[in-house]
Formats: sequence, structure tokens, C-alpha cells
Amino acid sequence: MTSLHISNCRILNSDATSVTIENGVISALGADAPTNAEVIDGKGALLLPGLIDLYSKANNIATEAQAAAHGGISIMCTSPDSKPMAEAPADIKSILSASDKTGAAKVLPLGTLTSELKGEQLANMHGLIEAGCIALSNARQPIKNTLVMRRLMEYAATHNITVFLTPQDQALAANGLMHEGPTATRLGLAGIPETAETIALAQQILLAELTGCKVHISHISCARAVDMIRDAKQRGIQISADVAIANLLYTDQAVNGYNSCFYVEPPLRAEQDRQALLAGVKEGLLAVSSNHKAHEQADKKATFADAETGMSILDTFLPMLMSLQAEDLTVAELANAASAVPAAILGLESAIETGKAANLVLFNEEEKQTCSEQDFLSSGSNSPILNQPLQGQVLLTLTKGEIAYQLS
Amino acid sequence: MQIQYNPNQVQLTKDGRLKHFLTTEGLSKELLTEILDTADSFISTQERAVKKVPLLRGKTVVNLFFENSTRTRSTFELAAKRLSADILNLDIARSATSKGETLMDTLWNLEAMYSDMFVVRHAHSGAAHFIAEQVTPGVAIINAGDGRHAHPTQAMLDMLTIRRHKGQIEGQTVAIVGDILHSRVARSQIHALKTLGAKEVRVVGPATLVPKEMADMGAKVHYHMETGLKDVDVVIMLRLQKERMSDALLPSEAEYFKLYGLTEEKLTLAKPDAIVMHPGPINRGVEIDSAVADGNQSVILNQVSYGIAVRMAVMSMAMSGQQAEREQEASV
Repeated sequence: MTSLHISNCRILNSDATSVTIENGVISALGADAPTNAEVIDGKGALLLPGLIDLYSKANNIATEAQAAAHGGISIMCTSPDSKPMAEAPADIKSILSASDKTGAAKVLPLGTLTSELKGEQLANMHGLIEAGCIALSNARQPIKNTLVMRRLMEYAATHNITVFLTPQDQALAANGLMHEGPTATRLGLAGIPETAETIALAQQILLAELTGCKVHISHISCARAVDMIRDAKQRGIQISADVAIANLLYTDQAVNGYNSCFYVEPPLRAEQDRQALLAGVKEGLLAVSSNHKAHEQADKKATFADAETGMSILDTFLPMLMSLQAEDLTVAELANAASAVPAAILGLESAIETGKAANLVLFNEEEKQTCSEQDFLSSGSNSPILNQPLQGQVLLTLTKGEIAYQLS
Repeated sequence: MQIQYNPNQVQLTKDGRLKHFLTTEGLSKELLTEILDTADSFISTQERAVKKVPLLRGKTVVNLFFENSTRTRSTFELAAKRLSADILNLDIARSATSKGETLMDTLWNLEAMYSDMFVVRHAHSGAAHFIAEQVTPGVAIINAGDGRHAHPTQAMLDMLTIRRHKGQIEGQTVAIVGDILHSRVARSQIHALKTLGAKEVRVVGPATLVPKEMADMGAKVHYHMETGLKDVDVVIMLRLQKERMSDALLPSEAEYFKLYGLTEEKLTLAKPDAIVMHPGPINRGVEIDSAVADGNQSVILNQVSYGIAVRMAVMSMAMSGQQAEREQEASV
């Protein structure tokens, strides 16, 4: 099948109500269906550019790519500590071929930044990019010291490689389990101060400036970090950042009752942090990422400190994102943060225009759904909205014109 | 998507009776007073030759201690025995979970023994809460200390001590001195004191051991003894663990004692009739001078004797709360 026509849809930022796709590319907007085309009735649903997720951990490439497409994602970056670990060209080949075979969201692996993610020696950075990695990351593992950080940035800059970093000072974060603040004090859980993030971020910004390396900061969580990123960009440093969707939806208050579902890295912070992050999304400064991490039930059924960190997000990413309209964000601003901004970071395109790759998602805003465990295509349903009502439903996700997900 | 939380959704029955005892936070003044009144009534039975009452006859209580504590465990054991319950002591710290069995496995095994009550001590904050949410309905959970979070029976025996020695809790000014950061006792005391009408609760210590967020719990933060002890009715000294020095929280025991150790001289800052308390075991010469610990303002030994009565009160109330809930559900 080389020709697809979606009729009767509302296209973001366009008056056209149909889109025609040929050979994976948008060939026309608002035209009649070609005679040989498969026609999909959009039933008045909203057509958005397919989402591009900057960070998720995939313990199983096939299930997580399907979960991503279910959540409106056309292209996903997997963390280097996924399975298999993205540390050698052979691993990258196997990830890419698993992605092609699955035919769901397209997987673009993030390769390891340092050898075995130990933060001591540089990984074969050039070789990993050549093998198909979109960028490199050290997952959430620390870089040993500022000298190694400087060197890896210099080497990456030499080869024009984008480096993904997570800002966290290990000593200050110590044994922290949640945001340091009144809730942590009352619950008796060790806190992670915001300075654990901002001190590490300050080092990363200064070294990015020194080395000229293209740096992307994964998952900032506090208000001060938003200001630091804005300021660094204004000074002309090649830096970008994203926020995990959980940090836009929840605050540290959610940890009350010791619900391990809300045990995430970086931690959920105070309401003023959440508001600053939302403002950063609104102004187009921050991308929104899933920071997805699937777990079996047993991994979360333990005391808070013994539970595994992370939330399963992929399956419900777009409905969760759209729920932020309640926070004074428009559909266009949200689509921008989860598609156009990440596309620019990765050097990809995202637009519903003739001649562009047909990465698209059709979203029914009216439909209410409740996701039970069976509705999660991901290997884990460790989601705070499991069995909760959720507004909106993905009808169709296309990756380069191919159907990555279709509601049956 | 803000999540509302109330600990009483877990620890109270629908009609507001205690069914687990996890934290003093959120409990009403009436319920806390009921615990104290019930404990008072048990104190008189403890002075009799035959000390047993049949309130828990035929019930099985399991002491589930994931963290060693001979003292606390013994008082719970004695309390259960005086209520005529069968008691099983499980020293999990050295057995099951260290062999790779998960907490959930341990719970399922114990439930298979038809236990009626678990007394839980665990190093992780929220552990008792987690267990209460996971166990089969009908099994009461008593928190005997979870991480830094709560030690509600200790706090209630301290409330009983204050009430018996000062006549009432209303209107008292109470200073809690020492390692507030790591103290589950302090957190439980603050909630109970505020609810029971104390005039002022102060937390006193250096900033490394006293989080400023304690103010959000209703305590006044003091960094110096001179202001912290001024005109208080009750001084509660907390035990200082040796590892606080190696964690870079304090320079030395000697400097700590000089600045925050309770001496007769520092005690003169408090009201002349102030009482001195300590949850024990005490470190003489570290947080408290022997002359004060053994002095006539000290009520430390009385605290220990009230411990059994308070635990009997809480255990019998939680068991009858469980019973009431079962009957209610059966009648529906």
C-alpha cells in the first residue's frame, strides 16, 4: 500500500480537512482521495503531527514501540540502559531491526556516552552514531567528575554529536527518595534538594559554553533550572532541555500516602516548580518527554524506599499531554512541545505540510476511556491513571505514512 | 491532577474508630484522649496482683520486627500477654527477608497462620502504612516505628506522662531537643501535642538536625537552647546516634553536649516545675547529664512503666475496631 487518505479531520493550524499520503510523504492537503488510496474516515477528530519522545526506557523494544504508537508517538528515543543496552554497533543494529520488524513507533536509540555507563571512559562515540544512534546519553548514571565531563563534551563537539545529560549532584541527592520540602519532612522520607539539580546543571552549562558541545538536558524538575536554561540559551549556548510529563501533572504532594507509583526520577517537586515548568513549555523553551519506565507489579509492591523508580507513560502519553489544556496551554503549544521542539533538538522535521514525512496522529478529544491493565501495550502498567477515567483517545498513529497504531 | 490524602482513610473504620494505629497525624482530640483514658484505666490493673485482662483472649498477635529493638518489642509482648493474647515474636531482621523473601512473601505466610494483629517495626518510612494497605481485611496493624516517619505508641506514652505529671496537655509549652531530622518519635509527638492542645511545641537543635520545614508541622524551630528552653513546661531530650558525627552532621559529641546537652544549669532556663523526659535509651554525658537524668525533675522511668498500658490500650482499641467493622460488613 503506497497511498493513504485521511478524510473528515481537523488539521492543526490548517483549514484543510483531509490529508493524502503517498510513499510515506504528505502529498496533498484538502485534496480528494486518489482512486487507488486506502481511505480512513477521521470522523471529525483532530490531526496532529506525530509526537516525538526524547526519552523512554525500553526493556522490550517491540512492546514499548507498540505502547508508544498507542500513545500517539511516531518516533521515540530509547535510553541506553534499555534492553539490549545500546553500547556497541551490534546492539544498535539489533534495536533498529527490532524496531523495523515491529512496525510501530520508529525507535531511535540513544547510545551509551561512557563505557558501560560507568562515567569514567568515553564510549566509542563516533562508532555508535555511525551505527545509527541519534545521540548519546549516560542514562541517569553519574559522570565521574568534571574533567571527564569536559572531555566527553569536547570529543562530542569534534564530531558534532548531541549529548543528553541528566543534571544531578550525587552527593547532594545522597539517599534521597523525593523532593526535599515539607512533605518529605512530614513523611520522614529523605529529600533531594533542588540544588542537587541546579549545581550539576550549572556545571553542565558552563562546560557546554567552554566546549561548544551541543547539549540536551533530560528532565529538569525545578523552577530555578528553567531560568538557567533560558538564560543559557539567551547567551547563545547550544543547549536544550525537556521536562518529564509527570513533573507537569503532579507535585510532591502526590507522594503522601507513600504511593510508590509516584516514586520517580527526577522527583516530583513543589507547585511553584510545576508552574515554572508549565510556563517553560508554553514559551517553547522546554520539550515534553515521557521518561517512561515500565515495571511489573512486584517491582512497585514494596516499601517506598524498596520500590523501583519510574512510571509507565507511553500508552497514555497524548491524552495526558492534552489534559494540560486545563493549565492554560493550547493544543498548538502542547503539540509544539511534544513534536516540533524535540524534532528540532534531534534535527528531524515535524509539520503537516506537503512534502514532509507523514508522521501523524489522529486524536478523538471527545472520547472518554479508562485504561485497565490489559489496555497497556507496554510491559508495565505502573501508571497513576491505571483504571482512572482519561479524556481523549488516539485513533491512528502514522510513522512515515505506515500505520504504527490503529484503534480496532 | 492533585491527589488528596488523609492517613485516616487507612487507619480508621467508616464510623471513625481506630482499626490500625499507624500515625498520630490526623487523629481527633477525642480519639487521642480515648487512648489516654483507656491507658489510664489499664495502669490501675497493672498495680494488681493478677495483671491480666481477657480482652484479646483467643487472638494471635505477631511481633514483626524488621529492625532490632528488644526494649520496644518486650513492652508490646508484655502488653499482648496482659490482654491474654497469644504472641509470636518474629525477628525478621535476621531471618526471612535476608534470604531473599520479599516483604509481600512474608506477609502472605503470616496471614496463612490466621494472625489477628501485626506489630510492625521497620527501617523504612511508610512500611506500616504499606503493610496495612496490603494485608487481608481484619488484621490490625500497630506501628512500632517506621523509619523517620512515626512511632505513635511512644508518642502516646509521652502524652500520658505529661498528662499525669502536669495534669493536662492543654496550655503546656514543650521543647523537643536534639536529632529531629531522623526522629520518628519527634514527628509523632508534634502531631499529638498540637491536636491535644499544647500551647507551643518547639524543636531545638543545630540546623543540620532540625529541618526548617518542621515549621509546616506546627513546631517552632529554635537553633539555640537559651531561647528554646526559655519558660517551657516540658523538656523532651532525644537520643543522639553515634553515626551523626561520621555523616558530617555534627563535629563531636563533646561540642554537642556543650551546646545542646541538658545540664542542671540549662534546665534553669525552663520553668521551675518543668519535667524532663527521654524516650530512651539515654546517652549519659552526650544529650543529658546524669544529674538531670536522675534528678527530681526527671520522669524518664515513669515513661517506661506507662508504655505497657498505652500499648494495651491501642491494641485493644484496634482489635475492637476491626471487630466492629467485620460485624458492620456482615450486617450489610
